[in-house]
Amino acid sequence: MIDTLLLEILSIGIIISACLALFLDEVVYSVAALSGTFLFTALLYYVNGAIYAAIFQFVVGIGTLAILFLSGEMLSDKSTRKTSTKKLSGLIGAGVALSLPALFLSISSSTGAYLDTSFGNALWNLSGVDVILQALVILTVALGIAIILYEQKKGGR
Amino acid sequence: MDFVILALVMMGIGVYGLLTNRQLLKVFISIELIATAATLNFVMLASTMGQGLGQAFLILAFSTDTAVSGVVLALLVIVTKKYGTSNINEILKMQEKMDSEVEQ
Repeated sequence: MIDTLLLEILSIGIIISACLALFLDEVVYSVAALSGTFLFTALLYYVNGAIYAAIFQFVVGIGTLAILFLSGEMLSDKSTRKTSTKKLSGLIGAGVALSLPALFLSISSSTGAYLDTSFGNALWNLSGVDVILQALVILTVALGIAIILYEQKKGGR
Repeated sequence: MDFVILALVMMGIGVYGLLTNRQLLKVFISIELIATAATLNFVMLASTMGQGLGQAFLILAFSTDTAVSGVVLALLVIVTKKYGTSNINEILKMQEKMDSEVEQ
C-alpha cells in the first residue's frame, strides 16, 4: 500500500518536473527541473527493485546535468522575463492533470512470459549487442570530433 | 498504476516540447525526456516481470545516449557561437540572409 502510494507520488513528480523542464522561461531553472525528473526516475527504479538501473540513472543524470548547467549558463540568452507565479502554478496543475491517466488507467496485460533472467546473465547474453553499440558510440564520437575540427578549420580561413 | 501510460505521457510531453520550443537547449532537454521515457518503459516492464534484461538494456541505452548528448551539445555550442543566438527561428533567418547574399 505504502509502496503503491510512493510510486504514485514519484510518477506525479516525474510528470510535473518534466513539464517544468520544458516550459519554464529560464534555461537554468529548466535544467534544475530536469534534475528533478532524473532524480524521481532513479527513485522510481529503486522502489521498484531495479537497483542497478537506479544507480546508473542517477550517475548518468548527474553527468548530463553538470554539462547542461554549464552550457545553459554559457549559451542562454539572458532574458529579463521572470516566470510568473500564475504560470508556475498552471504548469504544476497541468503536470498533475497529465499524470492522472497513468494513475487510473491501465493498458498492460497481466499475463506475460515470466523468464527468470538475472542481471548478470542478461548482461552476458547481450554482450554481442554491447560490442556493436560500443562501436556505434566510438563512431558517433569520431563523427562529432570530425565536425568540430572541420568547423574550426573553416572558421580559421 | 500503469508505467506504460506514464512513459507514453512523458514521451508525449517530450515530443510536444520538441515541436514547440524554439531554443536549442530546450530542444535538447526534450530529446533527453524522450530518451528517459523509453528507458523507463524498458526498466519498469522488465523489473515488474522480475527480469534483469531491462536493466541491462538501460545500461546499453545510456552508453549510446551519452555519446549522442556529447555530440549534440558540441554542435549546439558551435551553432550558438557562429550565429550568436540559440533561437532556431533567428538562426534560420540568418542562414537565409547569408544564402541570398552568396547568390547575389
